[in-house]
Amino acid sequence: MRPIGWVGAALLLATAHAAPAQEPGADGMPLLSPVTWERLVNSDDEPHNWLMYHGALHGQRYSRLDQIDRGNVERLELKWAHQIRQLDRNQTTPLVVDGVMFITESPSNVTAVDAVTGRAYWRYEHPLPDGIRLCCGRNNRGVAILGETLYMSTNDAHLVAIDARSGSLLWDTEVADHTKGYSKTAAPLVVGDTVVTGIAGGEFGIRGFIDGYDAATGERRWRTYTVPGPGEPGNETWAGDSWRTGGAPTWLTGVYDPELDLIYWGGGNPAPDWNGDLRLGDNLYSSSVLALDGKTGEIVWHFQFTPHDVWDWDAIQVPVLADVELNGEPRRVMLWANRNAFYYLLDRTSGQFLLGEPFALQTWAHGLDENGRPILRENVFPTTEGTTVAPIAGGATNWWSPAYSPRSGFLYVNSFDAEGIYYQRDDDYEEGSIFLGGGHRMPLAADHYQSAIRAIEATTGEVRWEFPITPRTRSGVLATAGGLVWSASVDGYFFALDEETGEPLWRISLGAAPHASPMSYAVGGQQRIVVAMGNVVFVFGLAEE
Amino acid sequence: MLLLVVMFAVGVAAEEPENPYTSGIDVRMGQRQFQSKCTSCHGVDATGGEEADGPDLTTGRFQHASTDAGLYEVIRDGIEGTSMRGLRRAGDQEIWQLVTYLRTLSRYVDVASLPGSVEAGRGTFERLDCGRCHMVGGRGGRLGPDLSRVGERRDPDELAEDLTEPSAEVAPRWWTVRVTSADGMVVEGLRMGEDTFNLRIMDGEERLRSFAKASLRAVEREQTSTMPAEALPEAEVDNLVAYLASLRGSDP
Repeated sequence: MRPIGWVGAALLLATAHAAPAQEPGADGMPLLSPVTWERLVNSDDEPHNWLMYHGALHGQRYSRLDQIDRGNVERLELKWAHQIRQLDRNQTTPLVVDGVMFITESPSNVTAVDAVTGRAYWRYEHPLPDGIRLCCGRNNRGVAILGETLYMSTNDAHLVAIDARSGSLLWDTEVADHTKGYSKTAAPLVVGDTVVTGIAGGEFGIRGFIDGYDAATGERRWRTYTVPGPGEPGNETWAGDSWRTGGAPTWLTGVYDPELDLIYWGGGNPAPDWNGDLRLGDNLYSSSVLALDGKTGEIVWHFQFTPHDVWDWDAIQVPVLADVELNGEPRRVMLWANRNAFYYLLDRTSGQFLLGEPFALQTWAHGLDENGRPILRENVFPTTEGTTVAPIAGGATNWWSPAYSPRSGFLYVNSFDAEGIYYQRDDDYEEGSIFLGGGHRMPLAADHYQSAIRAIEATTGEVRWEFPITPRTRSGVLATAGGLVWSASVDGYFFALDEETGEPLWRISLGAAPHASPMSYAVGGQQRIVVAMGNVVFVFGLAEE
Repeated sequence: MLLLVVMFAVGVAAEEPENPYTSGIDVRMGQRQFQSKCTSCHGVDATGGEEADGPDLTTGRFQHASTDAGLYEVIRDGIEGTSMRGLRRAGDQEIWQLVTYLRTLSRYVDVASLPGSVEAGRGTFERLDCGRCHMVGGRGGRLGPDLSRVGERRDPDELAEDLTEPSAEVAPRWWTVRVTSADGMVVEGLRMGEDTFNLRIMDGEERLRSFAKASLRAVEREQTSTMPAEALPEAEVDNLVAYLASLRGSDP
């Protein structure tokens, strides 16, 4: 094919600007066109694209693409792979927009590649200062897009805007001071023309918050602290001045309900992690979910999963929004398999607790009361000598995404059954330093325990099937309309299960552990399944017949 | 001549400072520092992290430093390109105390200070035919752990327990797996690798065998040691411990 030259390219781009999404280029392939807020709200209508970290505002991580199904999944083959240059944990969920894939890389970089071939268009490398405080690796999970601008968190606690066509930096806003222990690792969430984003640093005694920024300028529109200050409701749940260093970070991407105009976001553990005596009280809104007004960020309701958390059980999971039938009535609900080993069903309009059942091994609570508050067992708090409690500090599950299939009505969760030993000790807060108040370890090697992909019936909390995998696996789950559930195991397999039975239908050994969640897109009419394992992004599709 | 003088001066200047804080109190202060600043990556017992992948600091060997002064620099400056961040705001004394504490974690012991005799232990090792299953220096069997550098990873107390109570704590690599195939054939061996879909063992004849789990009728795992429990007199255990403790690649 002859190059079309600058005039032709400009004409094509102009056409793409003016036209709705998916206007094909001269070769029949789509051309990147602005991602309007309407496109984000209706992302389920263009399943060939993956327009945000969770795939859609409701957080289901469910692809409506059904070309790959239970009957043909055996024909899956590798189409291409992208090797990430920087070796680290690779936690990316790429976006795909009209044939262009955006892959985040450790520590705070992003590469744009052709979604057909995997070959690069551009790479943005964010310069980082020395002395960044990170508890758990130089992670960078994904970008958000609005119009033709990408939004990315950086490890030095900045929010940057990058031109999606060229990789040029458009603006760079400091969200918080990284020298005080603040950092950023999660994909932002676009709500209207606001970029909503959280903060990490719960192990450094930060004061957590959720922010909204003007998408065009990077100016902050609102900030909602996840630890209320004096005079604000909830401040009384922190003894003395402990709220100042209360943690409750917000290091994962939340979700949004356009009809209710509510943003839902999880809050992490209180600080210090394991010494609750230094912060007596329930410690709102740590280990909680918050519902925020979509325009002002004001708190509309909250639900705390683990009051006075002394185990490090961040409520840093994806709030999965679904519309279900409960007792014959349609209900707008939120599904939440929590790090504390309980599955919760909440009414997302009001925050009302509807049901809660354990989905993994737990030895800390007799159960939940009628309001969803845990009924604690005896002797479950950390001590100097160590207290053995299930789940482990890393949780029965964690930040890796679950998937919800509206077809099956199941929430698919990667879960871990194990107990940990929790230690308490004195600690003094020092700005910018680790502030844990104790420690944690697993008494035995991971092989003694069990990981599994579990299918939880959303409306009952019943585990309907499980597929055991090698412990301890840290991988998200994807569900697709072909009746398949996709996940990966720590031993380096990527696999597909039957959504109804959990039967393994396809697998490939990729040789390195996953730390990410799979996604799906299509280009040229061909469905692709994507997973990041080791330092590689792998892209699969059906072999031609 | 001038050149020689300059070289000499450089040599003197490069001499490494000694750790001035090595008392018992310094150990305890270093431990407090460690618990507050280091355990989130290196684990509460310093044997490596769970959520972050900080390395084991108890082996007596460090990847980025060998001397106290080298450790001081790593703790102060961090390691570029990794999550290891320097304690730039910590004082001189605090960093040296951390170095002192780290040194106490080392499994390295002076073999001469142990009650047993290395030579007598070597004799017992041979008499009991331990080499039937264990390799030392490239000679021996494959049905037990290679002991060529066991003195680096196990301290004398642990070695004594390994000898007297071999089944007290068996690493998953040395569990015994018994598989029954669909047609009823039973194969037993050491668990070299197990994953979500497959199982790999070394059988009693040291053959490597791989099985697809889905094709098996049953899989049983024995978490006990295959080492014969031999009731040995205390002096012989001491000798064996001394011999095993002496097995190191080279002194750290």
